[in-house]
Amino acid sequence: MNLPELSKSQCDALREISNIGMGHAATALSQLIGQTIMLRVPRITVTDISQVPDLLGGAEQLVAGITLKVLGDARGAVLLIFPQESIRRLASMLIPGQSEDPAQNEMGASLLREVGNILSSAFLNALGGLLNMTLIPSIPMLAYDMAGAVVDEVLIELARDSDLALLVETEFYGHDAGNSSISGHFLLLPDPASLAIMMRAIGGEA
Amino acid sequence: MIPRFRVGIAQMRIAKDPVILSALGLGSCLGIALYDPQVCVGGLAHTLLPAPRPQDEISRPGKFVTSAIHTLLQEILAAGAQRENLQAKIMGGANMFLSLQANAEEGIGARNAAMARKVLEELAIPLVAEDVGGHHGRTIEFHLATGTVQVRSLRGGHKEITL
Repeated sequence: MNLPELSKSQCDALREISNIGMGHAATALSQLIGQTIMLRVPRITVTDISQVPDLLGGAEQLVAGITLKVLGDARGAVLLIFPQESIRRLASMLIPGQSEDPAQNEMGASLLREVGNILSSAFLNALGGLLNMTLIPSIPMLAYDMAGAVVDEVLIELARDSDLALLVETEFYGHDAGNSSISGHFLLLPDPASLAIMMRAIGGEA
Repeated sequence: MIPRFRVGIAQMRIAKDPVILSALGLGSCLGIALYDPQVCVGGLAHTLLPAPRPQDEISRPGKFVTSAIHTLLQEILAAGAQRENLQAKIMGGANMFLSLQANAEEGIGARNAAMARKVLEELAIPLVAEDVGGHHGRTIEFHLATGTVQVRSLRGGHKEITL
C-alpha cells in the first residue's frame, strides 16, 4: 500500500486537527513544567524515507527520542525529539538535584518516557475525539543517540509498505526568555493504510 | 579531496577508488559493504529490514538485506570486481529502544545482522569484519582506496574504530 495522495483541503484538515491535538499536548507540558509553551503551525511533509533524518536536524545530531506506537482505529507512530540541552532542563525542573545527562540514569530516563506519554496521550485523545476514533498509545520507549539512529526504528514499520513517509511535525518551544526554555519536535507518522482511514474520518474527497 | 557520497536509508551505491561512501546514524539499520581489494571496487547498502514478506513488492532493493546483497553482488561484478576476491563487512543492527519486553536477540537490528550473515554464507562471500548490535547508533565511512570502514559512535563507549 502506498501513501494516498492528499488534496490541499485534506492537508489543511490534517494540519488543523494536528494543531488542536498539539494544543492539548502543549497545555499538558506547560502544566507539568510551569512554563508557557508556544507552538509553530504543524508542517505536513511527504518525503522519501531516506530524507527523514535530515528533517530532524541532521542524522548525527545527539537527541533524545521518545517513541510510541499508535494502536486502535488508526495505526502509526508518535516520535518526540528533544535536543540534548532541553532534556537537561526538563530534568532539572522536574527532579531537583538532577543535573547529569538524564537519559543516562534510570530516574531521568523514566521521567522522559513519562513526559512522552503525557504529551502523546493528550495529543491522541484530542485527535481521537475529533475524528471519532479510538487511538491508543503503546508504552513509550526512549533512545538517546544520533537522530538518524533514533528515527531508523520508527521508520521500519512504515518502510515495509511505502518508500515515502508522511510526517506531521510540530515544533514547540518554551516562552521563557533566557536560557531555561525547552524546545522539541513532535511528529506523527501515520502508516499508509491508516492515513486513508483518517482521511475518510475527516471527510472530503481525495 | 576524495569525493564522498552519502548512502541514505534504503539506498545503495557502487564506487571505485578514490571515493568514500558513508552512511550516517545507523540504528537498527544495517550497513553492508562488499569490496574487491584487487581492483578497489566496492559497494555499500543501507538496509532497513531483513527480508520482504511474500506480498511485498521490492521497489528498492536497498531496503531489504536479502535483495540488497544480491543486487550489490550483481552490480559490483558488473563494475569489474571478481567474485572470488569479494569480502564483506557489516555494521549497525543495534537495538535502539530498550523496552520492557524486547529481547535484544529478537530485535529488528539483530535480525538484520543474522540475515546478512546467512545470505553471505550462502553466497560464499567471507564476512571479514563486523561491528553490530548493542544499543547505540553508528556512522560509517567506507574508504574505497583500502576497503577499511571507520565506525563512529556518540554513545557506544568507543568513539571510533576501524574495521
